[in-house]
Amino acid sequence: MIDADGLRSFEERVAQAFNDGKIRAPVHLYSGNEEVMIKMFQDISSRDWVLCSWRSHYQALLKGVPAEEVFSEIIAGRSISLCFPNYRMFSSAIVGGILPIATGIALAIKRERRVERVHCFLGDMTAESGIAHECVKYSTNHDLPIRFIIEDNGQSVCTETFPTWGMLASSFENCSNSKIVYYQYENTYPHAGAGVRVQF
Amino acid sequence: MYFDELKRAMEWLAGHDDTIFLGQAVAVPGTAMSNTLTGIAQEKLMELPVAEEMQMGMSLGLALAGQVPISIYPRFNFLLLAMNQLVNHLDRIGQISNFGYSAKVIIRTSIGSERPLHPQHQHVGDFTEAFRLMLGNIQVLRVEEPEDIFPAYRQAYERKDGQSTLIIEYGDYLSEK
Repeated sequence: MIDADGLRSFEERVAQAFNDGKIRAPVHLYSGNEEVMIKMFQDISSRDWVLCSWRSHYQALLKGVPAEEVFSEIIAGRSISLCFPNYRMFSSAIVGGILPIATGIALAIKRERRVERVHCFLGDMTAESGIAHECVKYSTNHDLPIRFIIEDNGQSVCTETFPTWGMLASSFENCSNSKIVYYQYENTYPHAGAGVRVQF
Repeated sequence: MYFDELKRAMEWLAGHDDTIFLGQAVAVPGTAMSNTLTGIAQEKLMELPVAEEMQMGMSLGLALAGQVPISIYPRFNFLLLAMNQLVNHLDRIGQISNFGYSAKVIIRTSIGSERPLHPQHQHVGDFTEAFRLMLGNIQVLRVEEPEDIFPAYRQAYERKDGQSTLIIEYGDYLSEK
């Protein structure tokens, strides 16, 4: 499995390519959560499903997709919806879009008594949306083989998640639901791009 | 008869191991569509809460995992609440995945009946042409006559291109044709 330095190096390579004008599409980069992500994937098997939002390079690499394959998809402009069917990975650039899809996959797994799980990564703003509450409630009450991994960096694009909702903290901080994994991190990259204005 | 053909089509679909019916008033009575499902084994019927977008996303998820969902929206107006999943995900699943994923979902909806009772204007919408304009990959079929019904559902199930089908029924025809 790729290590923390490998993850950071990969994002730096993407950042450089983006700043050099070699990627004619948005990219959303991770930083600051490498160790927690590696730990997360120690509990994810190759037959499990991983669903992500528009920020998903780390998940693809940790799921085992070869770095060059991930990189070429990013260069081709598909960073925000990286999908690798052979690795059971699906991403979407629509807020909350993956949650009911993940729920449906988990429902199929349970109905067919398959030994697989679903791991659904979502941000702090998505976690407060209506579709998140529906899917978490349904999955929890029906004990579907799924966990929702909430990655809280406090922001949605440039909007501060909790003040806009009139909240002090995430609804899921200190949550006792076994279907929920919650962690906080600070991302040094901006929401999109790599910090340099690129003129095409 | 229109109703009989719908019932026949649903029972034919239910005869396949990989199908599952989901929606509101699917496993229990409650809508005109419920009556077309009465001959189907309960384990094939998944009653869902009223959560239209979640239902459409779950249908896509079920399809990705190898099942063929028949996702039921008793009125066209209700299907509007599932548009995000329908347009942004199910219809675009090929493009966003570089044609790595496909998903065969059968979506069943109906233009609400107006006779003998008119349920007023939030229940009788017909958005067929708007949906055709928005959906580039999902086939949109209207079943006007009883003889259209079974072939439409059979084609939706047997299609090999991995695409989904939206089949639009007419509430009034359940008693008129």
